[in-house]
Amino acid sequence: MADAQPTTTDGRFRRIQAVISPTTEAERRRRRILVLCLPYFVLATFGAFIPIGVMARMSLSTDNLTNEGFTLEAWRTLLNDGIYLEVAWNTLWFAAATTLFSVAIGVALSHALEKYSLPFERWIVAMLSFPIALPGIVVGFLIVVLLGRTGLLTNAVAYFTGGNPIDIATARTLGGLFLGFAFSLVPRSTMVLRGTFTEINTDAEEAARALGASPLVTFYYVTLPQVWPGIVAACVLTFRTALAIFGTVLVLPALNVATLRLSLEIGDLGFNTQIAAAIGMVYFVFFFLFTFVSLRLVDDDHVKI
Amino acid sequence: MSDVTLDSVTKRYDSEAAVEGIDLRVDDGEVLGVIGPSGCGKTTTLRTIAGFETPTAGAVRFDGEDVTNVPPERRNVGLVFQSYALFDNMSVAQNVAFGLKMQGVGADERRERAVELLELLGIEALADRSPRTLSGGQQQRVGLARALAIEPNILLLDEPMTGLDEQLKRRLRTELSELLSELDVTALYVTHDQEEAMVMCDRIAVLNDGTIEQVGSPQDIYEQPANQFVADFVGTSNVLDAVVTDGRVDLGFAAVNANGLSEADDGRLIVRPDDFVPGGSAFEAVVRDRYYLGECVRVRAELPDGQFVTVDLDGEWQDSHPGEALPLDIRTDGIHVLS
Amino acid sequence: MTDDSHSTQRPRESGTSRLWWLLGRLDVSATVGKPLVTLVVVLTLVFLLVPIVATVVASFATTWTGVVPRGFFTLDNWRIVLGMKEGLGPRGGVISGLVFSAMVATGGMVLNILVGVPIAYSLTRYDFFGKDWVNTLAVLPVVPGIVLAVAFIRTYPHNSGSSLGLIVGYALLKSPFMVLTVQSSFQSMNLQQIEESARSLGASWPRTFLTVIVPNAKDGIIAGSIITWTLAAAEFNFTFIVDPTDPQPFALFLYENISRSPVLQSAAAVSVYFSIVLVVIVLLQSVGRTGFTTVER
Repeated sequence: MADAQPTTTDGRFRRIQAVISPTTEAERRRRRILVLCLPYFVLATFGAFIPIGVMARMSLSTDNLTNEGFTLEAWRTLLNDGIYLEVAWNTLWFAAATTLFSVAIGVALSHALEKYSLPFERWIVAMLSFPIALPGIVVGFLIVVLLGRTGLLTNAVAYFTGGNPIDIATARTLGGLFLGFAFSLVPRSTMVLRGTFTEINTDAEEAARALGASPLVTFYYVTLPQVWPGIVAACVLTFRTALAIFGTVLVLPALNVATLRLSLEIGDLGFNTQIAAAIGMVYFVFFFLFTFVSLRLVDDDHVKI
Repeated sequence: MSDVTLDSVTKRYDSEAAVEGIDLRVDDGEVLGVIGPSGCGKTTTLRTIAGFETPTAGAVRFDGEDVTNVPPERRNVGLVFQSYALFDNMSVAQNVAFGLKMQGVGADERRERAVELLELLGIEALADRSPRTLSGGQQQRVGLARALAIEPNILLLDEPMTGLDEQLKRRLRTELSELLSELDVTALYVTHDQEEAMVMCDRIAVLNDGTIEQVGSPQDIYEQPANQFVADFVGTSNVLDAVVTDGRVDLGFAAVNANGLSEADDGRLIVRPDDFVPGGSAFEAVVRDRYYLGECVRVRAELPDGQFVTVDLDGEWQDSHPGEALPLDIRTDGIHVLS
Repeated sequence: MTDDSHSTQRPRESGTSRLWWLLGRLDVSATVGKPLVTLVVVLTLVFLLVPIVATVVASFATTWTGVVPRGFFTLDNWRIVLGMKEGLGPRGGVISGLVFSAMVATGGMVLNILVGVPIAYSLTRYDFFGKDWVNTLAVLPVVPGIVLAVAFIRTYPHNSGSSLGLIVGYALLKSPFMVLTVQSSFQSMNLQQIEESARSLGASWPRTFLTVIVPNAKDGIIAGSIITWTLAAAEFNFTFIVDPTDPQPFALFLYENISRSPVLQSAAAVSVYFSIVLVVIVLLQSVGRTGFTTVER
């Protein structure tokens, strides 16, 4: 509905006026859209845009308690101190690995939920979705319950092998953290993928089966091309979620990832607000670019949580 | 009720025209059908009258008064959609009374008038039901009652029968047609179904590609199509090249009596399947395919020059089968030549 | 059916197609595939549910040494967590923090309704310049909670940990859930025709929105409210950094229990939250959601 763009100031003025006191239905509609979006943008301005702007300034401050002076010190530290590169690398590979795992499991789960007549399907879905409501610290605790020193699985293994539970406990290892991430991510990726799987054209699948293709061949040639956009979207969303996980790492500190480092900079390592802000900015910019670039590749319809 | 005029209305989206310079008049109390292929601008036309689209150029008038920029809620138009679009948060009676409530009519009177309308449509028993529990045909009746309740300047119907099954469609069509003439409603009836438009409407406008190809009575449109598009779109037609001179129509492979057709050097004869006279002596075609349609038999026949035509057969000729010869003439008194 | 979809069905002429053909012949997937996928489902459910069930069970036990908790049945852990008994770890019990978090979460939820419903409507109903961008911004959290908290500390130095700061932070972080849930509701109704019907009947646009659109999307708005409320009530990442101390929010109470209390007591603390989620899922069921999800079906 793009009308000719007014080029003169006069035209621009008329455009603004049309928003304030519209005469045609098209103008009234434009005002309506603006009014509908306005509350969100007010919230986003005070809740995100201004704080992020202040955070950018914060990373350049000479003082760690107020924004004053100008120094690139924090950014220099970020670039030169090897620890931050390591943190970045840890964050990315771990998020990527847990994402791929969780989406793969999510594909299997959505396939099963859609294709097999599982008993108590509604209950299964409800149970699968339960972890989405759990904050990361609770997930961390649950992994401890399963794999910690007093954990169920740990002690079960110890009982059968005669080993020492303390040696067997894996909750606070990388493996335990991986499962902690998966605990949060599998339900999310499954919920995203479920929508995609319900929209599969089953006629095409049945036609393929009728032509003699086996289930696996049918999946590869008929089903997969249809669900592929959904899978990509699930990867994008799951990866974003993985990048933001904090509580789980706080309880199971097996890997120094960015969120953990951020809390250390604010807490245990002192009040390094400039460095924390710089990490926050890197986070924000990466998050933003990743989201917009990757979502250009997929249809917005697949974006669900 | 009032008359509604579109004055050279143009609507462009991103410089692509949805309708281009449309002039249209719906007379007071008239039901005007708007037909055409999908994407021809039917719905844009309807939405412009309702006020949901601002024309890029041109004007909309109700009883001569320019309403181009009047918002939809102040135009007093009734809308009936294919999807019924009933308000699920209200009962059937509340749906019907909604417009009256907006006009500030008191609760008791609203209820009374809603029930009256529901009675008129034979669904007063449903008054306190939720729209969600109704069948498609019932929902459509409620939608109609709701639109009529406000005694609209014009009733706009956007493919109201699409989505209903054939039998119901036929019944509702008759009912609606009677209701519209009884209430003397001015209406614009948008449909892609030309048969429906023929039955329902006083006049029909054929739209194509954002412009009006022809406006006329159903009979005019069928028998005197203004051009080949209308001829093709409305009913089945055969188009034969013809030269009309000295009371004869020369088809190239044969000549038939012109019966007062106007002279044309380079004309095209629009011949409907029932305009052929089986057993005539003008020329002989060969039957290639035969379709049994219940009420008649329709064949694809090959003319002497190799063209194919569609011919309806009756009586003894219904027994013609592929491969057999079919002597034909053309009844030229009701037909039309395009030049 | 388009040519494209045909070509995806026709095996490509390559070496791999022969492999697929072979697989098709052997038909292993028919015999192995379904049991394998079913096994994944079962293992996932076990993995997700066993620790949750074990936690709830353990909260009623007196000791947990060895494989399973023992010494049933006691309410001591719950008493300590609920503040009815002195115990190790955080003092005062969960009640005050839960009440505070519930209030703040309610504030965030109200803000989310005011902000999320209108933008969800404009995104579902209208096409406009930059819609894709606005949509992405509205349905995906702009930044992780922990990063937002760092930004809040400096932007609102005296208010970042106040009720207002938490309400704004929670509303922003959880708004995508509201927008998506309400969008899903709007998408399932015939939004444009319902709006236009109401307007043609004489309702002004604001009136149409409030008396027809919003009531029709009621279930979605309720579901979105429940979801955003729950997530805000237990929000940890943002809360931990802005660190409000008096009263201490529920999530921080949970964290102190998890990191400092004996495991059985932590189990009781965590079980408090499980009970909330359970109630929430039952409530969501009543507004047409299967489980804790924004998607309607």
